[in-house]
Amino acid sequence: MFFLHNLERRVTLHPSYFGRNMHELVTTKLVKDVEGTCAGDYYIIAIMDTFDVSEGRILPGSGLAEFTVGYRAVVWRPFKGEVIDAITQTVNPHGFFAQAGPLRLFVSSHLMPDEIQYDASATPAQFTNNADIVIEQGTHVRVKIIGLRTEVGEMWAIGSINGDFLGYVAPNHALSRAALLIMLLLQLSAGVGSRQIAMALQLWAKT
Amino acid sequence: MAKIIRLGNRLRYPITVVKLRKAPGEKIKKQETLLEYSFKWTREVGDSIRGDTWDEEQTTSVTWDSPTDGELTRWLIREGELIVADRGVMEVKEECSHEIQFQGLCAMCGKDMTEVNWAAETRDTARAPISMVHDQTNLTVSAVHAQRTEQELQSRLLQNRKLSLVVDLDQTIIQACIDPTVGEWQKDPTNPNHESVKGIKSFQLDDGPTDLARRCSYYIKTRPGLQDFLQRISEMYELHVYTMGTRAYAQNVARVVDPDKKLFGNRVISRDENGNMFSKSLQRLFPVSTHMVAIIDDRSDVWPRNRPNLIKVSPYEFFKGIGDINSSFLPKRQDLLTSDATTNGVSQKGRKKQPAAKNNKEEVAAAGGDGMANMGDDPTLTKRQVEEQGRAFEKQINDRPLQLLQEKLDREDEEAEKATVQSEDGSESRSSSPPSQRHHVLQDDDDELKYLEEHLTALHTSYYAEYDSNQAPHNLSSVPDAGRILDGLKSHVLQGCRIVLSGMLPRDTNIYRSELGLQIMSFGAELRQKVTRDVTHLVINASQPGREKLLEARRRPHIKIVSQEWLAASFSQWAAVDEVPYLYTARLVGEGDPNQKAAVSDDEVDETTTVAKAPNGNNKFNGPKLKLVSPSGRSHTLSLSELPDDSENDQDDAEPGLLPDDLPDGQSSPIDGLKTFNWGSADEELAEFLASGSSSDEEEQGDDDDDDDDDDEDQDYVVPDDDGGQGASSSSSSSGDARGRAARRSRSRSKTASPSLGGGGRKRKSRDDDDDEDDDGDDVEVGGNGNTPAKKLRRTESQRASSLRNQFVVDAGGGGGGGGEDVEMGSSLPTPGRSDEQDLEGAEKRQNGGGEDDDEMDFDAAELEAEFEAEFELEFDKAAEAEAKAEAAQAEAEADQALLKEQLEGGQHTGTG
Repeated sequence: MFFLHNLERRVTLHPSYFGRNMHELVTTKLVKDVEGTCAGDYYIIAIMDTFDVSEGRILPGSGLAEFTVGYRAVVWRPFKGEVIDAITQTVNPHGFFAQAGPLRLFVSSHLMPDEIQYDASATPAQFTNNADIVIEQGTHVRVKIIGLRTEVGEMWAIGSINGDFLGYVAPNHALSRAALLIMLLLQLSAGVGSRQIAMALQLWAKT
Repeated sequence: MAKIIRLGNRLRYPITVVKLRKAPGEKIKKQETLLEYSFKWTREVGDSIRGDTWDEEQTTSVTWDSPTDGELTRWLIREGELIVADRGVMEVKEECSHEIQFQGLCAMCGKDMTEVNWAAETRDTARAPISMVHDQTNLTVSAVHAQRTEQELQSRLLQNRKLSLVVDLDQTIIQACIDPTVGEWQKDPTNPNHESVKGIKSFQLDDGPTDLARRCSYYIKTRPGLQDFLQRISEMYELHVYTMGTRAYAQNVARVVDPDKKLFGNRVISRDENGNMFSKSLQRLFPVSTHMVAIIDDRSDVWPRNRPNLIKVSPYEFFKGIGDINSSFLPKRQDLLTSDATTNGVSQKGRKKQPAAKNNKEEVAAAGGDGMANMGDDPTLTKRQVEEQGRAFEKQINDRPLQLLQEKLDREDEEAEKATVQSEDGSESRSSSPPSQRHHVLQDDDDELKYLEEHLTALHTSYYAEYDSNQAPHNLSSVPDAGRILDGLKSHVLQGCRIVLSGMLPRDTNIYRSELGLQIMSFGAELRQKVTRDVTHLVINASQPGREKLLEARRRPHIKIVSQEWLAASFSQWAAVDEVPYLYTARLVGEGDPNQKAAVSDDEVDETTTVAKAPNGNNKFNGPKLKLVSPSGRSHTLSLSELPDDSENDQDDAEPGLLPDDLPDGQSSPIDGLKTFNWGSADEELAEFLASGSSSDEEEQGDDDDDDDDDDEDQDYVVPDDDGGQGASSSSSSSGDARGRAARRSRSRSKTASPSLGGGGRKRKSRDDDDDEDDDGDDVEVGGNGNTPAKKLRRTESQRASSLRNQFVVDAGGGGGGGGEDVEMGSSLPTPGRSDEQDLEGAEKRQNGGGEDDDEMDFDAAELEAEFEAEFELEFDKAAEAEAKAEAAQAEAEADQALLKEQLEGGQHTGTG
């Protein structure tokens, strides 16, 4: 779920930057340092604005100036039970991996409807019900998060597509198009690899 | 999914069950109390200060909590029961077996598996220890699940009548290279290599080990016929890629080889997911059963656990001398068998020497450091390997080995052209026509895949033949084992052959454990250490055959002496190939003067039926030599007294006309080593050996002397005014004189000394290389008070460090006096002090030298052996000599300066004698 969140961070500035536009530099550095990172159990997607840039304090010993900056950011915190859209990355016999913005999800074959089975002989390998549903690399899926774990700077999730309106999302659906666009933006801000973005773009163009 | 829960061994047995809190059918939660029990223990009570204590038995009642979630199905114990040891107490139907886990999360229920719980003895992460997915290491499954997955895989394969085939990339189906030369050749249609490199695809990686490597292009050459091969093989096999390259590299190569992802799909595993830095393992992909898997790889040593399943292919070497781009992530290559067959001279030479030196270094480093035994994901090791690869990359990009090779080839072409033109019409009628057909380094003449396809087809056929014949209900536990079938197919190949290797492996290796040995045995041949009566084949490495085995084999005509290429061909074709094209003939060539020699050898060639043509030109044999005649008519002479002197004056063997003209390009000649061989010195040596001053020898040596004199004059010229100057301090002059004299003497020594010493001359030769000091001792004994400064200086090089020893020697030398005295005096000078110390040492040696002489007069086999080894040291000696010369020159210059200074200052120099 997305939130507007007020946060605070200490930013240090090298003495060579001391001057009139210091506050701008502080903001720039803040944006560079913070946007697209995972801060505990949420991702900082974008910084809206900064306020309360404190006076700089010279750090003894190094000469760097330290500013305490308050800022307002769009953060995304995935919750257990939340339903999100994702793009399938790789498929293996045990399930498939999907990427929802910066978050990597795994959907195991146990958490799929019974009729969806792994098909290794297809190229590329896929999960399919031998009818309209084909989940292969690059497929748009809707996933419900059932488990989350965070480590410093990283987050992983377990997803399920066993439920109504979950799983394969047919292309050409206005909603899916919008959802994908949001994901795309997420990825852009979160600094996900360019290849994945290209893949997402392609998909979006297709829909 | 009922599971028996045990009490665990942390309890204080024996215990008595007091009460069961839960009844069957109830839900239980982790850490919920399930039963109460009591146990007895003793406690010391009383007043410990007064020593008035006694033990008292206590009974304590405690609870036992559930280590898991689920539903209790039944108890295995009753209330009041005494339990003496850990045992199962209840059966629980678990909510989730946590069989698939992703990064510490259960992929089935979403719970965090990394939570540590006091109630449970084992961590939940331990429930899914097996990683079996190609592109992930953080997705793990339980053994049960792995088995289930694999059974599904097997039944699917059986249904499609397929097998699994694990394919290595580097040097097996492709060769990669980052030499920018390839790119230039691709753009240049006039380049002779343009045709070969035209179809090469390239890509760039952004994860290279160094910045340089990040910017460079990887050129991927597929093995000829690869597309068709893979296409046909993929109908019988499900293909997997298993490489020691990085993930990005593997995927890019897979994209080059298989753009539609039809062949490999995403069944690609790379170094990043392998989990082991040194070896590959089928268990990583097929943890339960490898019965339906075959491997093709150019390295067998990286598959220590899966040797039966491996079909070893000969390494693909298109970019000559480049080797495997990812080899720093593998153990050092030990089987040099087939690489020689395809590489040409330059790379071969490089290979020959480097592995020996490098291996040693590597092994020492490994033994000293983190070691090969430490096979885990050692970060320092990984870093080291990455650095190593980075260095290799930089070297390749900067040195451009391919360009060098091509340039060399061009030069050879030019020379050959010159030679032919000159010989054809005598006059210099070279009308500046550039070589019409330039040879090219890169040749695409590999046919390994053809055989490989045959083998894989054979394996598939016999596998399913066996599967079908086994018409029992096809349960999955009884599928035939591909490894066993492969063994069966291979073991017929060389059946009945009893093979001895010569010059193929380092001397002290256990042949039965070596890669080559294992391979030979896997093809059904017997491996022998010694040449005995029942041996059928002697496989030799033509560039460095072992002499004793050859001699032995020569005595037994039924033993076929074949080159290692025979073995390589047999391995790759899976058939005992006809030996004739690989057959060597070993002849013991007698002795005599060169002309006579040539005639004899020609005669012999005529006699040998297997030889197609006579060896041309370079049969300047002068000693009892073992001549190896290769199938193509080139002969390789193995001298029994092959120990060239240090003289570097005879270069005549480098003339192009003496070399076989018909050397097919790209093919290595077994006599490459002879190009640099010093025939003149061999002659000289022979003369000594025979102790006969035949006229031709005398002439030859006369030439040598002339050359030496030239050198001496040069040196004398440098220090002309020294003799007139300060006597005591003018070391350079006296040493220069001494050098002149001694050099001449050392030359003439062979003439004067040989007769007097008789057979001993032979012996001295061997010591010449083994031990210089002794030689100098001889010098004094025989030739008077001279000493050879060059040798002295060379000795200096090796001994400069041990000043303590030198000090000791000074004392000894002071007592010794003798012939070295005047030299000592002469060499006490302002120049580096080592020379006079060395003189003293020389003096000492001189003292000892006389005694040693007589002991070694007889000529025995051990000495011969030593001499043979000394041959290898020859290279080093030469280098040392060159250095010594340079230093001598420098010393003179310094002395000059000092002199000049002295004269200018008019002061007196205090040179201590």
